[in-house]
Amino acid sequence: MSNSDTIVEVRDLNVTFEMNRGQSRVVRDADLDVARNETLGIIGESGSGKSMLASSFLNAVVEPGVSTGEVTYHPDDGEPVSVLDLSESELNRFRWEEIAMVFQGAMSSFNPVTTIRTHFRETLQDHNRDIPAGMDRARELLESVYLDPDRILDSYAHELSGGMKQRALIALSLVLEPDVLVLDEPTAALDLLMQRSIVTLLRDLQAEYDLTLVFITHDLPLLTKLADRIAVMYAFNIVEIGTTDDLLYNASHPYTRALLDTTPDLNVPVEEMNIIEGSKPDPVDHIPGCSYHPRCPMADERCRSDDPPMMTVSNSHESACFYYDEADDAVTISAAPETRPASGQSAATDGGEN
Amino acid sequence: MQGNYLAKRIGQALLTFFATVTLTFVLYQMMPGGPEQALRNQILSQQMGSSNTINPEQIEQLVENYTNLESDAPIYVQYYQYMSSVFLEFDLGESLYSEDTVTSLLAERLPWSMLISVYAMVIGYSVSIVLGAVMAFKEKSRFDSVSSVVVIGLNSTPYYVAGILFIFFFSIRNNVFPTGGRYGLGIEPGFNPAFMQSIALHAALPILSMSVLGLGTALTMRGNSVRVLGEDYLRVAELRGLRNSRIATQYVGRNAILPMYTQFMIGIAGVLSSSVIVEEIFSYPGVGLLVYDAIQVRNYPVLMGSLIVFTLVTIVAILIADLTYGFIDPRISSGGNNE
Ligand code: SF4
Repeated sequence: MSNSDTIVEVRDLNVTFEMNRGQSRVVRDADLDVARNETLGIIGESGSGKSMLASSFLNAVVEPGVSTGEVTYHPDDGEPVSVLDLSESELNRFRWEEIAMVFQGAMSSFNPVTTIRTHFRETLQDHNRDIPAGMDRARELLESVYLDPDRILDSYAHELSGGMKQRALIALSLVLEPDVLVLDEPTAALDLLMQRSIVTLLRDLQAEYDLTLVFITHDLPLLTKLADRIAVMYAFNIVEIGTTDDLLYNASHPYTRALLDTTPDLNVPVEEMNIIEGSKPDPVDHIPGCSYHPRCPMADERCRSDDPPMMTVSNSHESACFYYDEADDAVTISAAPETRPASGQSAATDGGEN
Repeated sequence: MQGNYLAKRIGQALLTFFATVTLTFVLYQMMPGGPEQALRNQILSQQMGSSNTINPEQIEQLVENYTNLESDAPIYVQYYQYMSSVFLEFDLGESLYSEDTVTSLLAERLPWSMLISVYAMVIGYSVSIVLGAVMAFKEKSRFDSVSSVVVIGLNSTPYYVAGILFIFFFSIRNNVFPTGGRYGLGIEPGFNPAFMQSIALHAALPILSMSVLGLGTALTMRGNSVRVLGEDYLRVAELRGLRNSRIATQYVGRNAILPMYTQFMIGIAGVLSSSVIVEEIFSYPGVGLLVYDAIQVRNYPVLMGSLIVFTLVTIVAILIADLTYGFIDPRISSGGNNE
């Protein structure tokens, strides 16, 4: 997946919260390009800033958080949109029409006192869409997420199971034909079987509707089955980004490697991210030098004073570590797959088998 | 399931009502000296002044007319007679001091009390809802803290104090509103503008002071709205780019008001009972004033009749609240079907 056709471009993004004990910076100078029609996975511990980064795509960081920097959306045709500069009404139009977002709380994402039909209808209405045509599309979408439209549309959220709600929400997120779908831990509350079926579903939907997916999770095994590229977040910024294969077979940041090391079996989903030794970074603290140095076994003087920029590992692979080319020797991954498969294309689905 | 529930609920309501009427009967029996006794004395003392005397049978007859009680019959007969006249003949007895039956007195007064109670509730609750919602939207702002203090203050001020202050400022000092009555003297009742206006002017202050009663709801509304504002579905609605007006009404409004629905209905009872004092302050001749006057002169039949009617209104209101709740909150009605 080359960067030639970028759909969302993030530059110097900062997300800050003013708190009593000082300013909390939960995303720090992040840069990211999302390519059209790719599936980008963003992985990180809770509190690493991954949800905030993704919310910024819709300028939807929860109050009183503030996103600054640049988020540029490049539509298929037409002028680029600077998302953070949109007025409230422009933003209301932009959301869900261009970029839709499904997040963790899917279990309670529906208004408990109205039917699912009302949710589709009001979304169409408030975006001035043709309602009959839109409802036809809604039925089609519900069918493609394996739900029976007649039954679902007249139901209330509490009448549906968790998996059904999640699928109904995914259908709802596509009703205005957005180009980008941001999924923030969409499978967190689901059982294993349902998680896998949602993943399969998303892949089908992506092909069918030409979607760009941004998938945020702490579940590395899940991501390796879905993502074309993976961005690893640590301490409020991206520390490594590359294709799924790059990361699985040639992880070049000590943090990514530690992460892989604590995920022995990529076929087993993780409930919670395994805590890597050392304490979690505090969003109020300013960390001098490399943000990972307090926990990094390779850290030296330079790491403590200078902030490593993104270093190019290969043309599809970058790592924010001065010593990215030494990381593989310094931080070993106990269950690492030895070599990447010759073809390289199937790693995304069976990368964990070794 | 639905029909069953309906029957059960209505049965419960009837039972409650039956129990209340029984209670009034027991009260009659327990009154110091007994109401019949008091009544007998009263009739006798009235007779003292006049020249013609009444024989004891006539007195018995009179007492029975007033109270529906035949005092020399065994207690279960009395009970049966009392209950049957209340339930089968809608006969609540007769006022001690006028020729009117209690039923007709109440029927004449009730619409006036309803007028002020309904308006007081509508105004009190609408103001509370809007105020509570705005407070929640501006949570922790200056407006929020100031209004919270004001609402708590007003809420702990008894409504009758508010009523007295209103009379003092608006009627005595400034003469904007009349101090009492239902409509001006010499105005011909009917569907004419002058009469309507007079009714409105006379009802304004009682309504205003009673609506203070509902203000505490603003805090409940504020709390509910704050909770709804933190709900996931609200965030999703914002992410979906829905109109703010829709989010405010369909999402925050509906979900925050829902839990208060039953509270509103029960509020009807509170408003009715507060009408006793409010109507006295404003000399507004509704049921409340009727009760107040009846207490002054120990007009037992009127008191008991009003008690029964108040109870009836309360029971019916709660019944309606219960039965309609399912229509408003889908989680209740379908819960009954599914589980
Ligand atoms: S820059 Fe230094 S501290 Fe940071 S990850 Fe690389 S080696 Fe570790």
